[in-house]
Amino acid sequence: MEITLKNVKKRYHQKTVLDIPDFHFFPGKIYGIIGPNGAGKSTLLKVIARLEELSEGEIFYQQQPFRKEILKTMTYLTQKPFLFSASVVENISYPLKFRKYKRDEIRFLVEKIISEFGIEHLAHQLATKLSGGEAQRVALARALIFKPQILLLDEPTSNMDPNSIEIIEKIILKYNHKKDKTILFITHNVAQAKRICDEVIYLENGIIVESGKAKDVIASPKSENLRRFLSLEYYVN
Amino acid sequence: MRYILEGIIYAIKLLLSFDPEIYEIIGLSMYVSFASTLISSFLGIPLGFLLGLKHFKGRKIFARLLNTAMSLPPVVVGLVVALILSRRGPLGQLQLIFTPAAMIIAQTCLVLPIVMGVIFNSSRDKGTEVEKMCLTLGANKLDTLLVLVKELRANILVAITSGFGRAISEVGAVMIVGGNIKNHTRVMTTFIAMNHSMGNYYISIAMGLVLLGISFIVNAILYGRITGTGD
Amino acid sequence: MRKKKFSLLFILLLVLSLIVVGCGSKEPAEPEEPLTEENNMEEGQATEEEPKAGGSIILSTTTSTENSGLLDFILPDFTEKTGIEVKVVAVGTGKALQMGVDGEADVLLVHAKASEEEFVAEGHGLERFDVMYNDYILVGPADDPAKIKDQANSNIVDAFKLLHEGGHTFVSRGDDSGTHKKELELWGEAGLEPEGAWYVSAGKGMGDVLQMADEMQGYTLADRATYLSMRDNLELVIVTEGDERLFNQYGVIAVNPEKNDQINAEGAQAFIAWLLSDETQELISQFGVAEYGEPLFIPNAK
Repeated sequence: MEITLKNVKKRYHQKTVLDIPDFHFFPGKIYGIIGPNGAGKSTLLKVIARLEELSEGEIFYQQQPFRKEILKTMTYLTQKPFLFSASVVENISYPLKFRKYKRDEIRFLVEKIISEFGIEHLAHQLATKLSGGEAQRVALARALIFKPQILLLDEPTSNMDPNSIEIIEKIILKYNHKKDKTILFITHNVAQAKRICDEVIYLENGIIVESGKAKDVIASPKSENLRRFLSLEYYVN
Repeated sequence: MRYILEGIIYAIKLLLSFDPEIYEIIGLSMYVSFASTLISSFLGIPLGFLLGLKHFKGRKIFARLLNTAMSLPPVVVGLVVALILSRRGPLGQLQLIFTPAAMIIAQTCLVLPIVMGVIFNSSRDKGTEVEKMCLTLGANKLDTLLVLVKELRANILVAITSGFGRAISEVGAVMIVGGNIKNHTRVMTTFIAMNHSMGNYYISIAMGLVLLGISFIVNAILYGRITGTGD
Repeated sequence: MRKKKFSLLFILLLVLSLIVVGCGSKEPAEPEEPLTEENNMEEGQATEEEPKAGGSIILSTTTSTENSGLLDFILPDFTEKTGIEVKVVAVGTGKALQMGVDGEADVLLVHAKASEEEFVAEGHGLERFDVMYNDYILVGPADDPAKIKDQANSNIVDAFKLLHEGGHTFVSRGDDSGTHKKELELWGEAGLEPEGAWYVSAGKGMGDVLQMADEMQGYTLADRATYLSMRDNLELVIVTEGDERLFNQYGVIAVNPEKNDQINAEGAQAFIAWLLSDETQELISQFGVAEYGEPLFIPNAK
């Protein structure tokens, strides 16, 4: 689904945290969103997910203004996974329950996604007692089970071991193998952005300073700020 | 010291004797406290959720008032309720003074803020997080509420247990609005107070132990549910 | 699944307590219409109810009266004969009278003659009747440091003088009760002001005060009935008794029914009639004999 931002502004107590006059996110692409802390990356995802309201401007979904049904095809993954105090299976079942799927269907789909994600051994454990990496996998499974068109992922692999990172990246790529999903992906890991993102957006103080094909932007950044930002990223990698 | 040991022996003998007066008193205590807790829960839990999740004007003041109301002095509540229900009070025609109904009313005034307060505070804290999460998963308002209730089920049990604890153990309110009338409004706490002032130590201790025992059992049951589910 | 079990248990407990209560006390019926001549005359009516009116009355009395156990002993007879339940609210004399003034009670049974007569004179009650009397006694520690037993065994005013002189611990009811009023009367007669560290104003009921005096090894003025009923738990002994000034006269008064609509005037009248009847007076004189060898109350209705 195409997401279009027009004259989008978001303010918190006089401070403008987002200022995007015109931008398009196209389906089939994975967008990496990078930038310093406080740049407005999370806010960008939140306003698209309708968790926060815009101060000005509008966001269009497939050229149309927002309507409630869009929520059912969108998913947002928080930095720190928030899981319900129930078993892993129950957590993953929730989105399907909300959409009134039949019990057999739910069981089938949940089993399928659990094996895909390699978390069968956690199936009946209490979700709130999982480790960071495990919890994030469960949260992602829960977020993907109803096949949303739009994925908004806020640092889904930060604080994870390399093995888990690999698994998650593979899952995201596989999810988009038909090139029909719109995926926005906040990360501090520039190497990761280079690995899996089609396009990269550099956000600073709420403004898109630079954007373009991932490999191009990272290899030869046009703006001074981005260049400086990328040079510091070697601390992360 | 001798008193306490002999009191315990007396207590056991008393309970095994199945004295109808004693059992009537125990039964009335349970009835009044359960009833007031039940009513307070039916009113307080939904209200607590509603107000905890909604952002309305004056919410901060309301929160402060509610927290104060959670520790209203029972004897003061008893006084106010008695003034209203007494014959010359505004609701005198209802003839509720010195009846178990009046005691339930007074205790509900004490327990309702407690139940509502616990739910309000916990849904205010956890409510937005759950709401937002459910929104991203495509839940409608009803689904979200059900999930929230499930997430806060431990808090709900704490609310009910605290409320019941307050009800079964207070003496000031039920003494004033009930009058400790034999066969009508005498409950465990007023019975203990009365017998102590008469110097009947053994029976006071006996009933005191029964009261502790019941408190303990009810708490054990309810907290057993919490640790069983909220692990 | 677990949730179902929990609510089931909860409901079970609630139902259990409801059953226990339900089998115990019966809720008194609402005060019914007074029996008219017509109702009385209607023969051949098959009713399962008691022939007389049911309902209940609120009897306000003093804590010492209730604590003595007299009411437990005699009231069932009244309910049996009339079908009227008596709800006994036991408070201090001051409060008992106030309940009458406020119309919160239907009938009063107290022991403060002067206050009672004032009560009637001011129109709060219909008429005052003598019912019975018991007496006050002065009790104190077994070793009797004030030497009252030797010097003032039947003279209460002298006893009080001895207490005042020697500054011996005395615990007063201090709660405007009949006992308290009597005590103040006696200080007045002795021409003394009771003040000082030795004079402890408790603000509590008779039982509590006796306990306190027991703990503090002090003296106190008590009604014989309460003392006798607590004697086994106390180390206090009687040091003065029998002085006529220690008489404690009980009176019964029907509250003026014009105060409000809820006053059960017929019930009050039935109660008074029963209380003053020969049978009940005889019953009163039997109370306490089995346990203490002497009656706790002496009936003296006219």
